[in-house]
Amino acid sequence: MSMPLENVLFYGVLGLYFGAMLLYFLFVAVKKEAVGKVALLVQVLGLLLHTVAIVLRGIAAGRLPLTNQYEFASAFSWGLCLVSLLFILRFKFTLLGAFAAPVTFLIIGYAAMQSKEIHELMPALQSNWLGFHVSTAIIAYGAFGVSFVLGIIFLLREKMKASGFLDQHIPSREKLDMLSYRSVSLGLLFLTLTIVTGAIWAERAWGSYWSWDPKETWSLVTWLVYAVYLHLRIRRGWQGKSAAVFAVAGFVCVIFTYIGVNTLLPGVHSYK
Amino acid sequence: MGSMGFAIGLLVVLAAACVVASFVTQGQSAAWYEQAYGGGAARLILLLGLDDAFHSWWFLTLTAFLCGNLLLCNLVRLQPLIRRTRREADPAAALSGPADATAEGIADPLPVFRRLRMPQPCACEIEGKRVLFSGKNRAGLWGPWVCHLGILLLILGFALGQLTHREWTVYGVSGDTKPIGDTGYALSIDDFQVQLREDDTVAQYVARVTLFPQGAAESGRGATVSVNHPAKLFGFKVYQNSTGYAARITVEEGGTPLQTQVVCAGEGIEIADAPGLRVYLNAFYPDFYLHPGRGPMTLSGRMNNPAYLYSVTFQDRMVGMNYWQEAEGPIRVNDYTIAFSEPQSYTLLQVKADRFQGLALLGGLVTMLGLLLAFYLLPARAWAVEQADGRWTVFGQSRKGGALFREAFDGAVKGERS
Repeated sequence: MSMPLENVLFYGVLGLYFGAMLLYFLFVAVKKEAVGKVALLVQVLGLLLHTVAIVLRGIAAGRLPLTNQYEFASAFSWGLCLVSLLFILRFKFTLLGAFAAPVTFLIIGYAAMQSKEIHELMPALQSNWLGFHVSTAIIAYGAFGVSFVLGIIFLLREKMKASGFLDQHIPSREKLDMLSYRSVSLGLLFLTLTIVTGAIWAERAWGSYWSWDPKETWSLVTWLVYAVYLHLRIRRGWQGKSAAVFAVAGFVCVIFTYIGVNTLLPGVHSYK
Repeated sequence: MGSMGFAIGLLVVLAAACVVASFVTQGQSAAWYEQAYGGGAARLILLLGLDDAFHSWWFLTLTAFLCGNLLLCNLVRLQPLIRRTRREADPAAALSGPADATAEGIADPLPVFRRLRMPQPCACEIEGKRVLFSGKNRAGLWGPWVCHLGILLLILGFALGQLTHREWTVYGVSGDTKPIGDTGYALSIDDFQVQLREDDTVAQYVARVTLFPQGAAESGRGATVSVNHPAKLFGFKVYQNSTGYAARITVEEGGTPLQTQVVCAGEGIEIADAPGLRVYLNAFYPDFYLHPGRGPMTLSGRMNNPAYLYSVTFQDRMVGMNYWQEAEGPIRVNDYTIAFSEPQSYTLLQVKADRFQGLALLGGLVTMLGLLLAFYLLPARAWAVEQADGRWTVFGQSRKGGALFREAFDGAVKGERS
């Protein structure tokens, strides 16, 4: 079973995210503030519609729509869109959208390639902890996605020629570095929450809160990678370029934990 | 060992070990690895203990080093941290140290404190000058320390749980009573239902059980157990873990019933009159269909076309194997007739006693608290010193705020310069 209205909304969201991405690119190209504002508006509209689509799917399924590859990919792009919007609005950093929107679009594009069928849940997935576990993962992945984007911006900024537009719209290197650190902090906090809630749920469902399932192992690897990032910042003063490279590499780990583990390594999180 | 450099090295090695181990299927036999990876790779996997990496001596050693590192780190840093926390609230210490941001010529510093969301500043006199001082989020200094403590508790709880926990598997059909190992307790399966939806998918597995001290059934305690809803009885936790099919085997000789017993799939009985002759129930298919390519399967969970897969062995040698359906009449083996009946689901329950589960959970929560303190209670302080002309110089400092704190500070002093 799949829902026609939710389907229409989903493709509407896909179009809006794509439109926002093009508008952000146009904003960088023509350097007009008004274009940036329209891009932001389209992104906000996309997020609102996306929220409605997710809520409708939840109502149709009678549960939180966070249980298969399509639903998680859709929610992942929603989380990334939300966190990037929060950073754009909180730090008046419209240009972040030009880098975050393509990643959001890629992830929702991945969702579009998955089956949208609504299936009844197997008993192990019928738990309130599922909601806590997956929604915290969405925020964590969204925050790591933003740190990845900020890392890319930092690295590109070093290569860009100075111009009034860039100086006005891209924060100083020091502030970019700080923002990236903040988003990693947010991501690590929520990843820890994801791991803890997942462990509580696993204990109730399978009688063991940690069983070295590949997803568990890779969540731990991601956690360790970002823990190394935070320690290196303190110990060796790894800031700026090195930290940006690390934030980019860390997200590769996140993506593998999300897609690679589900498809390549068998386990209880596998959707094979 | 308590250094941060050592910690970073350990974290990198642990992450690398986890990555490698995640690509090697765990817990298989030597023959399996040889077939899956080839002779050389299999030998290397077994030599390095990668077949059970997370319980191998080297992984446990790394984890022990991590615990040692966390413990030493926290011990070494406790005193300096206490001193630093005290110093953070000391206006004189603030005045003698560097500031991250400074603004001179402020007519009234109180609005600056407010905009920086500082508590009401206290007034004091240092070296003959009037000083206003305020600080916030000192608890944030303790974030990493609390986080390390949480991880230590988590690893300790997990390790103690692994070492001391006891676990038993009890399986049977409704009406069965089975002992729980050598605990002196027994578990009675009062009822077991596989709840199906209209589309034949499983909605839930529900078992009603009673746990009691052996020989004292009257003092038993009952509970309903289903997936995601374990029950706690007499200090044991009972989980609905798995299920399968069971059926009754009836053996007759010359029309006279010889023996009858309910067995689960995979189990068999030895015929009482014929030592060494055994009949097994290998599998049961409620809605049997013999797929040309995939072999025997069931089309649904409903009893539309029940069929049994059975085998007969004599002195552990297979003498026959076949499908059987009731309409075919009894199976004949030598002088005996064998029939299967009363197909039903059996439940497999996991019974656990882990006293340290709470410690691991506490560790997880303390780790969370540490991260919250570290990331969201950013210690900051501001102080204002009155100058000879009656105006104030305001200083701000935040250990983790960096450029964002300086930006907030600049915003707070904007318009206050006279």
